[in-house]
Amino acid sequence: MGFKGLFESGQGFTMTDVEGKLVPERGRMDVEGAFTHVSSSQVNVAYKSTHVINYKRTRAEIGQALRKKPNYLHYDLVDKHRSSPLQKGTDNITVETDVKAPRDYRFIMPEFMPRPHFEYRDRVLEKLERRDMLRRRTVINIPEFYVGSIMAVTVSDPFAPNKKNRFLGICIDRGGHGLKAYFVLRNVVDGLGVEIFYQMYSPTLHSIEVIRLEKRLDDRLYYLRNCPLEHSTFSFDMEPIALPRGAQVPVNTLKLKLNPKPWDERWERQDLKGIEPIELTPKMIKGIQKVHNASATPWKKHDLMLHYRSKVNEEEEETIMAEVYKENQLLESMRKTSKATLKKKK
Amino acid sequence: MLRFRHQMQPRKLKVTPGANPQARINKLREIVTGLIRYERVEPLWYFADEARQYAERLLYLAIKNGDKHKETMELADYWLEEKDLVHKLFKVLVPRYKNYKTCYTDLHKLAVEYPGSGIPMGVLELRGNPWPPIIARQRDTKFILSNMLLTAAKQDFYNTKQQLKSDAATKRQQLIEKSDDMHTIRRTDDSSSVDPPAKTENLMMDR
Amino acid sequence: MASTFQNLRHSCLKSMSHNRIHKCIRMFSSQSLTNTDVRKKRIELFDKEKERQVGLVTRVEKIEVKHVGIPEDCTLIMNKYLSTPFNCAMHMQELLMTRSALALVNGQPWDMHRPLETDCEIKFLHFEEEDPRIVNNAFWRTCSFVLGHVLETAFQDKFYIELCSFPSPNVSSGSFVYDADLKLGDWKPSKTELNCLSRIGLRLNFADLKFQRLDVPVSVAQDMFSDNRFKRAQIPAIASKSKSGSTVTMYRMGDHIDISAGPMIANTSQIGRYSITAIHDIESPSFGKLSRVQGLALPTQIMLHSWTYDTILRPRAAKLNPGPLPDLKAPETHIQQQLPSH
Repeated sequence: MGFKGLFESGQGFTMTDVEGKLVPERGRMDVEGAFTHVSSSQVNVAYKSTHVINYKRTRAEIGQALRKKPNYLHYDLVDKHRSSPLQKGTDNITVETDVKAPRDYRFIMPEFMPRPHFEYRDRVLEKLERRDMLRRRTVINIPEFYVGSIMAVTVSDPFAPNKKNRFLGICIDRGGHGLKAYFVLRNVVDGLGVEIFYQMYSPTLHSIEVIRLEKRLDDRLYYLRNCPLEHSTFSFDMEPIALPRGAQVPVNTLKLKLNPKPWDERWERQDLKGIEPIELTPKMIKGIQKVHNASATPWKKHDLMLHYRSKVNEEEEETIMAEVYKENQLLESMRKTSKATLKKKK
Repeated sequence: MLRFRHQMQPRKLKVTPGANPQARINKLREIVTGLIRYERVEPLWYFADEARQYAERLLYLAIKNGDKHKETMELADYWLEEKDLVHKLFKVLVPRYKNYKTCYTDLHKLAVEYPGSGIPMGVLELRGNPWPPIIARQRDTKFILSNMLLTAAKQDFYNTKQQLKSDAATKRQQLIEKSDDMHTIRRTDDSSSVDPPAKTENLMMDR
Repeated sequence: MASTFQNLRHSCLKSMSHNRIHKCIRMFSSQSLTNTDVRKKRIELFDKEKERQVGLVTRVEKIEVKHVGIPEDCTLIMNKYLSTPFNCAMHMQELLMTRSALALVNGQPWDMHRPLETDCEIKFLHFEEEDPRIVNNAFWRTCSFVLGHVLETAFQDKFYIELCSFPSPNVSSGSFVYDADLKLGDWKPSKTELNCLSRIGLRLNFADLKFQRLDVPVSVAQDMFSDNRFKRAQIPAIASKSKSGSTVTMYRMGDHIDISAGPMIANTSQIGRYSITAIHDIESPSFGKLSRVQGLALPTQIMLHSWTYDTILRPRAAKLNPGPLPDLKAPETHIQQQLPSH
């Protein structure tokens, strides 16, 4: 049918054998049959109590679970479980969904906070650094410590007889952000004050031990340089004193007497709490007034934006700390499991 | 955290010739007080932009800390020159902005008048104020015929794309299954390839 | 022979009704039915019915019409059963006359050329309204209606096109539809042929034909569509759904008449772009093999870049429209006589 002709001219996964918590199954107990009525009921309770599934199993745990199992239970194990507090029955573990870091977390690990200077902020770099720091923390245990704590640090030293060097001292300063975090230890060796500056995340560090965990009244203890040497002398053979679990970190309220002048710095101007009151000369008073003249800049106290710009803001701090806290929790659980496996091997 | 774009560095506002930072803060206090009082003020744009940061910060702290926080109360007392506004801040504005996910203020730049100083004026206002809106409501063009046709076409395009993706995934899955089958066949071939010598022996026996 | 045939015809004319005359012509004429003749017949019947209905209005009564909107709110005194919204617009502004596609009379959509019946409040609607969905649906319906006109007039008289029906307007489907029996065999239209068809619809823009509405009794409707087997079958169902239960709503545009519940836009000059995009073969459960003719159109008021129209909207409009198939058994899913959706 042609086109022309068409148109008119114009138109157109059992839980009983997991992680050493071996609990006899019901059927098994019935076969033994030596149990009194009471004991069997206990068994029932135990059966209930261990009905918690561990979803985050380590490789070692999985290997344990998959290995060939004997067809009986060792009596040691059975006894152990009878005496275990688990037999009393426990509630199911509640799982925390929304992770929030405890408020004081940022004082335990202050180096995770970025620099507050907004001109030099680099959020990608900060994130990468935080990841590297956590990776370093899997290798070395960096404990909680504060300025005023007595610590011992072992560093690799190519010139030492055993290629290691251990130094013990009081922490007089702590600072830095990210991988550049540092702390300074001070001690007296052969009557001479020695201060060593350590990079916290340096790969040359073998171990960091906290001998005595405590705080001092000040954030920086450089004034120990101008104090009698006895205050910064610590024996290298000090034994570590552990704090009881859950105890608060003690604050050492010791007040030191400064040596007579000359000093390294003008300590009188620094508003220090860890030193005894100094006899002030008129010149000193003048200096103090010069520095702490609040009446010259009264507005600074209320300049909201000045405060805002000088700190990393609250919301960002919270997110960073939550992230670090979560990673750290994971790390600690890993450490515990590895210790457990080591014990089993022994 | 300030929830709007703002300048990194603070501005040195030329309030009066040779003025000090205190004068700057005083000027900003004036604007912030006016803003809380009238909910809409019309200062110079630079002043408004600076004052906005302070106002936002004050509101944020008031919401976060409440009226039982000493420092915040001190700040509110300092920044609000008229003391009845402290009451307004905690009793009116805090409940209003409690659930806001955005900033609490708006800043508009006004046209420069000619002839005049050539300095742009700005309008700084609190969100949710009772005044008529500055920006006229835009007409909704969603239901105009061409737009309806284009929206439907867009949805159609997206659906076909998703369909193609899911088809490709199923095809890939089928290929993998096929290759697994091939693998098992090859294995059976290997086991059969061990057998032939025995067969040949049998054959030899036969001979 | 010729003279005897003439005589017979005359005698028939005297004794038979109008409908039967046509049947008679069909019986006696050597040629089969043509669209031209059928259309002529419908117009005659339409005019006659209209005359009758106008004759019923013996006394001119006055009604108050309140206008709301631009240019200003006002009250007009108009004639009952005679004046239309278009006449009201004539009293106010030319823009209202040319731009208004539909009127809202007491909140109900009303054709621009349908006489007003009571005192009312009137508002004029156009295509760039805040929510122009009522107008859009009216436009889409009108385009389907026009598609019927295009199909009936495009082909030579030796091809008798029987229009079936069109589904209720759905703008989001991307195309408007008319299902018809083209009786053209395996004919597949080429691009040029589709363009030729589109042209007919496009040219209506210049013709400026208005859409007239008329409620017609079932018997008259049966007479008018006696030559169309689809329409003839559908009329009783359509009539039973109407308000009075015995009338069928008709629309006339130029010399094309079709059944539709409306409402429709004011006139053809409001159709800016008009293109017929594809013809698909469909299988209807009750009517057998049919052709689904699809098209795409835009109002004069809406401007759209040609690239968007040709590369995005047109290919989509060529895909088979998923609208319901014409079916007599399930009239709810395929309602030709459909009340406007709001």
